[in-house]
Amino acid sequence: MELIIFYLAAVVAVGGGLMMIMQRNPVASVLYLIVTLVAIAVMFVQLNAVFVGALLIIVYAGAILVLFLFVIMLLNLRGEKFAEKRTRLDRPTRIILAVAFILELLAMFKQVAFPGRMDELMVQASPDFGGARPVAELLYTKYLFPFELTSILLLVAIVGAVVMARRDEKDKKRGI
Amino acid sequence: MSYYLLLIPLFPLLGFLINGLLLGKLNKKIVSIVACGAVGLSFLWGLKLFFNLLALPADSRIIEEIAFTWIPSGEFNVNVGFLFDPLSAVMVLVVSGVGFLIHLYSIGYMHDDSGYGRYFTYLNLFIFSMLTLVLANNYLLMFVGWEGVGLCSYLLIGFWFEKQTAADAGKKAFIVNRIGDFGFLLGLFIIFWSTGSLNFITVFDKAPQVFAMGAGLITAATLLLFLGATGKSAQIPLYVWLPDAMEGPTPVSALIHAATMVTAGVYMIARSHVLFLMAPTTLMVVAIVGVATALFAATIALTQNDIKRVLAYSTISQLGYMFVACGVAAFSAGIFHLMTHAFFKALLFLGAGSVIHSLSGQQDMRFMGGLKRHMPTTFWTFLVATLAIAGIPGLSGFFSKDEILWKSFSSDYGSIWIWAIGLFTAMLTAFYMFRLLFLTFYGGERMDHHAKEHLHESPKIMTVPLTILGVLAIVGGYIGIPHILGGGNNFEKFLEPVMGNVQHGGEEAMVMASSGQNGGTELMLMGISVVLILASIYLAYVLYVKNIALAGKIRQSLSGLHKILYGKYYVDELYGAVIIRPLIGLSLFLWKIVDVILIDGLLNGLATIIGDISKIMRPVQSGLLRRYTTVFLLGVVLILGYFVFR
Amino acid sequence: MDLKLATIDLGLIAPEIIIAAVAMLILLLGNVVRRRTILAYFGLFGLVAALLTALPRWGNPASGFYGMVQADNFAIFFKIIFIIAAGLTILMARRYLISHEIESPEFYALLLFSAVGMMVMAATSDLVVIFLGLEIMSVPLYVMAAFARHDVSSNEAGIKYFIMGAFASGILIYGIALVYGATGTTDLRRILADWGFFEMHSQLFLYSGAILVLIGFGFKVAAVPFHMWVPDVYQGAPTPVTAFFSVAPKAAGFAALLRIFTYGFADMSQLWAILWILAVLTMTVGNILAIFQDNIKRMLAYSSIAHAGYILVALTAGGDGAVSSAAYYLLAYTFFNLGAFAVITLIDTRNSSTAQIDEMQGLSGRHPFLAAVLALFMFALAGFPPTAGFMGKFYIFSEAIKNGYIGLAIIGVMNSFVSVYYYLRVVVVSFFARPNKEFEAVSYTPAIFIVLVITAAGTLILGILPGYWLSLARAGIFQFL
Repeated sequence: MELIIFYLAAVVAVGGGLMMIMQRNPVASVLYLIVTLVAIAVMFVQLNAVFVGALLIIVYAGAILVLFLFVIMLLNLRGEKFAEKRTRLDRPTRIILAVAFILELLAMFKQVAFPGRMDELMVQASPDFGGARPVAELLYTKYLFPFELTSILLLVAIVGAVVMARRDEKDKKRGI
Repeated sequence: MSYYLLLIPLFPLLGFLINGLLLGKLNKKIVSIVACGAVGLSFLWGLKLFFNLLALPADSRIIEEIAFTWIPSGEFNVNVGFLFDPLSAVMVLVVSGVGFLIHLYSIGYMHDDSGYGRYFTYLNLFIFSMLTLVLANNYLLMFVGWEGVGLCSYLLIGFWFEKQTAADAGKKAFIVNRIGDFGFLLGLFIIFWSTGSLNFITVFDKAPQVFAMGAGLITAATLLLFLGATGKSAQIPLYVWLPDAMEGPTPVSALIHAATMVTAGVYMIARSHVLFLMAPTTLMVVAIVGVATALFAATIALTQNDIKRVLAYSTISQLGYMFVACGVAAFSAGIFHLMTHAFFKALLFLGAGSVIHSLSGQQDMRFMGGLKRHMPTTFWTFLVATLAIAGIPGLSGFFSKDEILWKSFSSDYGSIWIWAIGLFTAMLTAFYMFRLLFLTFYGGERMDHHAKEHLHESPKIMTVPLTILGVLAIVGGYIGIPHILGGGNNFEKFLEPVMGNVQHGGEEAMVMASSGQNGGTELMLMGISVVLILASIYLAYVLYVKNIALAGKIRQSLSGLHKILYGKYYVDELYGAVIIRPLIGLSLFLWKIVDVILIDGLLNGLATIIGDISKIMRPVQSGLLRRYTTVFLLGVVLILGYFVFR
Repeated sequence: MDLKLATIDLGLIAPEIIIAAVAMLILLLGNVVRRRTILAYFGLFGLVAALLTALPRWGNPASGFYGMVQADNFAIFFKIIFIIAAGLTILMARRYLISHEIESPEFYALLLFSAVGMMVMAATSDLVVIFLGLEIMSVPLYVMAAFARHDVSSNEAGIKYFIMGAFASGILIYGIALVYGATGTTDLRRILADWGFFEMHSQLFLYSGAILVLIGFGFKVAAVPFHMWVPDVYQGAPTPVTAFFSVAPKAAGFAALLRIFTYGFADMSQLWAILWILAVLTMTVGNILAIFQDNIKRMLAYSSIAHAGYILVALTAGGDGAVSSAAYYLLAYTFFNLGAFAVITLIDTRNSSTAQIDEMQGLSGRHPFLAAVLALFMFALAGFPPTAGFMGKFYIFSEAIKNGYIGLAIIGVMNSFVSVYYYLRVVVVSFFARPNKEFEAVSYTPAIFIVLVITAAGTLILGILPGYWLSLARAGIFQFL
């Protein structure tokens, strides 16, 4: 049963990801991304990491993606026609390369015998692994520095977005 | 005791800095005082140290001083240090002495040039680099000087950059020299790699332990060094830049492209003689290239009409002699010729400059003639130099050239063939030099009316250096009179602490010569050469003074040969066709085929590329983002694939 | 259950904190302080203050934040490079930004944030932190590339860099994930400690991860074939931004590469073949394509690819000596490449300019000083003595030879001689070409003059008196972590 749910969630996650990048309409893309995230949350739950799964849904699907949709709708972005210059060989080449890349990864995974060390790690994981307390503990001890760095990263991204979207004198003159 | 060797290169560096930083803010008088004074002080300090050196016992005539540690990290340790021994003493005196005279001369020659300050700035930088080159105590510092003189040579060849030919010649010199430098640098890497040092003394001490006699590694290292020397000293196959270098101001040709810089290759080989002696194959190559260059350049010089070009080819030819000397392991003979050549060739160029100056820039000998009356000082000094280069007994060139010829015959590394070709070249030299002399100073005045009115002897500031050099061109050889003529060959003795310990072959031969066993042979060879040279001078006299029509007739009857010689064997054209065009082709190929077709074209379809040439000429990259990512992914797939499917 | 709180030693990350705080203050004050000069100099002040807090740590390597921060000499050496690069960029950028009417406080803030990201990258031994540092560095760069928002090519540069950068980040994070999968940790020290174990049990996994990490950074340092973005971005971005691009992110990328591949994955001998090929490709492609460029920014873009190749030679050679040669080269390169770009920035401030090489015609007549320093920088780029460029190349190639990579060194030397051709072209044009028209004068500012003097002095001092700096670079390596 568990295995079935896992494969189901896996297929939905990968399928959602594929659909997301293949959509021309940004709104649809965002919706597919939510599908993917929910599927991944399911996997986390299966791993007993209920809290992480919940975070994923609340923070990403709930907050960030709603913000995405908000921005996209505000800016009124539609599926735009990109000026394309391509020849017959362009697309096949890319597809071949992508397939080759996937095959290589598959071949790699197949050769790998998962080391004993991994089992050790799994045994060591505490029963409430992925719960609120261990996550919080890690976040405020070992991962404190990366955690703070992330906040700077977000700040930088916001500043960057503002700079790119801001209108200045020249824009006003042009009446944009 | 401290000798302050650093001062020698420091003076010109200061001159360079003062004139360079205040470029255009100083008047000409101060510029010339600073520039000449700097070089003069170097010379005086060098002279003082030279006498200090003489005061030392012969075995300990080696002064090494470290100015500061340049690269001080673990095993990679290089100092900025200077080495003053008989070899570098000779070089310092030649460079700063001849350099000083040419600086003086330049005051007159460049007087009306708008780039006066710039000229002296470059010239001082050159003297600084050259002195660094000859004084360095390690290969790396020598390489710094080596590149420095190359840079100055490039700047000074292109000094009149308004002339397209001058700018092109500068570029050509620079790029051809890169090939040589490439060899030099790789040679250095091999030396450093095997001996763990670049310091001359350490390297030469260690060399016998690390290298096997005649082994591949030492042969490769020395051949690479020799490649560097062929670039700087204009030997086959890299000589092509030197004739074009004559686009620079004439004093520059005298200083850089005749007397000093071009001899750097000879100096470098003489300095590294310990290494070269361990690689007999390389020595053979050096000798053969030298003698071939000597002959080759001399034949070209026979037919050229531009006075400076004749002298340029003559320089290449004389440098060939010096390499012959190195190739037969007669290093001190090579340095001896280097010194005498510096005197008489500088004199020849300055004389030519004086002539050109008087004729307001005319360089073609067909429009000269009869200048003897108008420019007596120039003529007499020029005559002295011509006699010296031709090898007339009693003048400096005779002693040094004969020394080389004798060594090429008698040395263990020599052969009768090298001697014979060298002798033939000496005849050619006498012939073309007297052709030049006769065409320029004798016969009718062939210049146009306007120029004729302006004929004048050059000012004192130019003729005084000529006279001094004239004296040197005569007496410069007396320090090296061979035993056979009753001299002591003091020059070779002086250099013995540097060269002597390895020159057994030559030494024994010399002892034998003085003891009379081979003395007869040496005298006989000397006699043959003098007679042949006199004969070819007479021939030149007949052809270019007495019976000018005959010269034209001969030229016509040998028109095919003349054409080849006049066209300089079409080497430039050959290089163009064989090397440069394929190189351009190759890079175009890489550009068009590899980048455009393989990357772009694979995607774009071959048909569109071939059909549209203009498309090929547009920027390499298509500018399409998705193609960039495709290439990126290709890289990922290839690299990962290499590991996964290995 | 006792909760061990992180030992917080703010002193370890003081330089980062100072710069980030100054950047935020600039953002806050941006609308209050009308005089932007003050903001620019405030940014400079922050950099100097950061430098002063970083230097005393020299020689006292310390680790903190559960090993997430490594304040060792290696980190400090690279922090110095980033601070120099950022400071000189601020000095040279103002005049350009004003003349193109794109100056705004955010520019300085973004520049500083980017520097913070680089410092984080250099001062850690944890792959996660390296990744975060990389992103903090890159996001501002994407925006800065597109900072001339009314210029199509600048926009194009920003978009291209952003998309390619995101792509590369994806590869990188995937690689880090694989490494984590193989080892159960992202801490390089632990990976090194248990290397034998991992190599036995999860070799392919680990190697594949390492390769993807290599590729991710290969993009940042512009290694062929991950270089395609470089010419377009360099050409399109505002010139001072390009100047910053060409030195700082490259140094940061190499700092991370050096730490990962000569420390963490030091025993991954099978990677050498890949590195060898990458180094040769990068040098050769960069140099050959540079020959054909008429735009000087584009030419320098290819040249920067070639220089990445030289440093890859050091990475391939491996070992302490080679790493310190790479560090030394990056410091030297910062000076002469920034210097070259400072001259171009100045020339490019003229509105008519499109930064073509031919625009340099007559430069020496009009601005002898500018032409002279430009020539100096070109000779340094080409690797002539006595400039820092020669010393750096010599050091790298001799290390390569010492470690047995003779073929690589020969290819490197040949490449650097090929490069003479196109660098020389700039010198020839600025000195020897007959100008078609009068050279349009450029106006110096004291700031840019200072930049030129500092970079020229750095180029010469590192070449003539490299001893001190080399020993710094060496000390930086021997106390690795």
